[in-house]
Amino acid sequence: MTTYTICIFTENTFGLLNKITILFTRRRVNIESLTVSETERKGVSRYTITIKHDKREEVEKLVRQIRKVVEVLAVFGYLDDEVVYNEIALFKIATPIGTRPIDIETINKVYKAWVVYWGLDYVVIEKAGNEAEIMDFFRYIKPYGILEFVKSGRVAVGKTPQGLVEYLPQEVHGEYYA
Amino acid sequence: MDNQLTMIAQQEIASAEAVLTQETVQSMTTTDVIAEGPRFLSGAQALMESLIAEGTEVIFGYPGGAIMPTYDALFDYTDRLDHILVRHEQGAGHAAQGYARTSGKPGVCLVTSGPGGTNLVTPIADAIIDCTPLVCIIGQVKSTLLGTDAFQETDIIGVTTPVCKWNYQITHPDEVPEIMAKAFYIATSGKPGPVVIDFTRDAQVGMMDKPYQYKKIEGLASYKPRTVPKDEHVQKAAELINNAKKPYILFGHGVLISGAMEELKAFVEKTDIPCASTLLGLSAMPIDHPNYVGWLGMHGNYGPNVLTDQADVIIAIGMRFDDRVTGDATKYIRQARVVHIEIDPSEIDKIIKAEAPVVGDAKEALRKLLPLVKANNHSTWRNEFKKFDVIEEQKVTRRELKEEGEIKMAEVVNMLSQKTNGEACIIADVGQHQMIAARYYQFKKPHSYIASGGLGTMGFAIPAAFGAKKGAPDREVVAFIGDGCFQMTIQELGTIAQSGLAVKLIILNNNYLGMVRQWQQLFFEKRYSFVELKNPDFVTIAKGFGITGHTCSERDNLSDSLDALLKSDKPYLLEVIVEKEENVFPMVPAGASVVDIRLD
Repeated sequence: MTTYTICIFTENTFGLLNKITILFTRRRVNIESLTVSETERKGVSRYTITIKHDKREEVEKLVRQIRKVVEVLAVFGYLDDEVVYNEIALFKIATPIGTRPIDIETINKVYKAWVVYWGLDYVVIEKAGNEAEIMDFFRYIKPYGILEFVKSGRVAVGKTPQGLVEYLPQEVHGEYYA
Repeated sequence: MDNQLTMIAQQEIASAEAVLTQETVQSMTTTDVIAEGPRFLSGAQALMESLIAEGTEVIFGYPGGAIMPTYDALFDYTDRLDHILVRHEQGAGHAAQGYARTSGKPGVCLVTSGPGGTNLVTPIADAIIDCTPLVCIIGQVKSTLLGTDAFQETDIIGVTTPVCKWNYQITHPDEVPEIMAKAFYIATSGKPGPVVIDFTRDAQVGMMDKPYQYKKIEGLASYKPRTVPKDEHVQKAAELINNAKKPYILFGHGVLISGAMEELKAFVEKTDIPCASTLLGLSAMPIDHPNYVGWLGMHGNYGPNVLTDQADVIIAIGMRFDDRVTGDATKYIRQARVVHIEIDPSEIDKIIKAEAPVVGDAKEALRKLLPLVKANNHSTWRNEFKKFDVIEEQKVTRRELKEEGEIKMAEVVNMLSQKTNGEACIIADVGQHQMIAARYYQFKKPHSYIASGGLGTMGFAIPAAFGAKKGAPDREVVAFIGDGCFQMTIQELGTIAQSGLAVKLIILNNNYLGMVRQWQQLFFEKRYSFVELKNPDFVTIAKGFGITGHTCSERDNLSDSLDALLKSDKPYLLEVIVEKEENVFPMVPAGASVVDIRLD
């Protein structure tokens, strides 16, 4: 199974998330993660969806079908080495009096993670990175007692000299569109 | 608590305002609306104006609670908009489909919320798969009630999203002109399809804040389908075609939709390439054209199916390699290099890999291609089809047209074809009779075979025949309908009777769900599981609706019966009792390769 990152640019209208996700459902492709945000251009949303698939051809067909949704401005499909990507995770770690104190120095220097909130009996640590890095930190911090762990979906930018939004104006939407 | 109270108070004020606006709307007369100067219309009035601006002449619909303000506005527009009251919303949808396919204009449906909308879902799904332009306006509860399980509230956007080309919920009257322009543009451009407008009650009754203005749309930032193909694509296709030894054209519905019939004819005549049609492409080429070899697919002709295996270049025009055409797609035309002319880029490489994809409108593509292709002579290759025709004639056609035993469906279609000189517009429902109608009618004019192809919707024919007649009142419109299908939309006899339009209906009655029975016979060891029908007296039912008709059960009466049907200037029903266990051949068994087509 290969991981694909699909970046979709759309107009920001009602119900569009549903219009896009049903295309995955219909082809029985499971969405591993999904992130939606407004882009640097007002009124344009960017979806970053990761999926795992063993047939590149099928992913290409899916991408073309997503492009067919009227409100979709452009779709780009990427392999992992074609994008710079990251996720962000929050760890809520128990720190009751008398337990082993957490090692801030290791957390900061080795794992590049930061304490973003100090509670009375707990701290919240933020760790950004790719999935492997986050899981690495997960294993390190687990013995301290994880009260809560939450991880965002992937965000990714393409490894191309231009910004993807450059492709959006009317003229270029991909090879087959006017 | 305080907050909640304020909210309720605000709601009350808002609804009081709504009532006020409603009264204002009702007190406005048509003359006010037509008066010069800036026009402030209600959402419902703006909808009527928008429909007129788009050239709408007919609306197929059914009123109900949430759409009543729009029906009230329609009351003042009946001089410019014809409304057909159907008997069930599904009938409205299929009638609009029939209308769109004979008139070339988008079919417009107007129904209420909840069940009105859900009843329209089948035609919407049918229209998306058969690329039929529909604009479906569906009422909705007022926007303040959305999501509260209000009376007749259904999330119709959620329900229709997977089956329509585009949908939108209008919640403010100001949105109406722009959204309607978008709706018509999206429905009719590119690969046509159904669009759904979910029209909340408050947007219908509310007054527009700005003066009504209508501007047609000819492209959207996110959607502007390529109609004129790229030069390099056309060039590549021409190269492949010019170097082909055994080229073979497979054309489909796209040729009819883009009106490329003349271009196709010119193209095959110059290149002398044999061409075959898909089910929905039927009638795009006259059946007696020397280059036309027949139709493709599960029950298509023998040669056209088998010889796909010998062509070195396949030129697919406005067709999408449906599984009913390809059989087992992994074994389909593996030896051939493929040119695929298609307006929808997502169809390219979807089923069959194309070496030379040409994305664009079939008409534009053929126009560009024509000067680039060489005049040629492929008579030897074309003659190979004739050898298969002889076998098919001996093994299938002769048997099906043999005048002995009970009347066979083929005889009825064949005789009607002769009597109408192949010039009638044939509507078929779904099943054996649909395939027989496609096999035996000798189409001479385009837009003459209208059936539910992709979705296979039983019950399509009665309403679609009505719509087709509405769209082409000067043509003879004859529907072939099975006894099973007939009972799925039988209530639309009322619509036909009320209109008085001379729609001709022929029931080919074998007291069976024939196609399912055939499969059970061939692939399920004759275990006839729930396929036999105890039918009503169809002629009496028609009479109850005010439609004349009669039954024909003897071969000797068949000719006179068809004459009576054709002579009538009113709607007419002819029931023909046909052989009970007739099977349709040729047949490509499901999942088999097309070369394994069976003749018996």
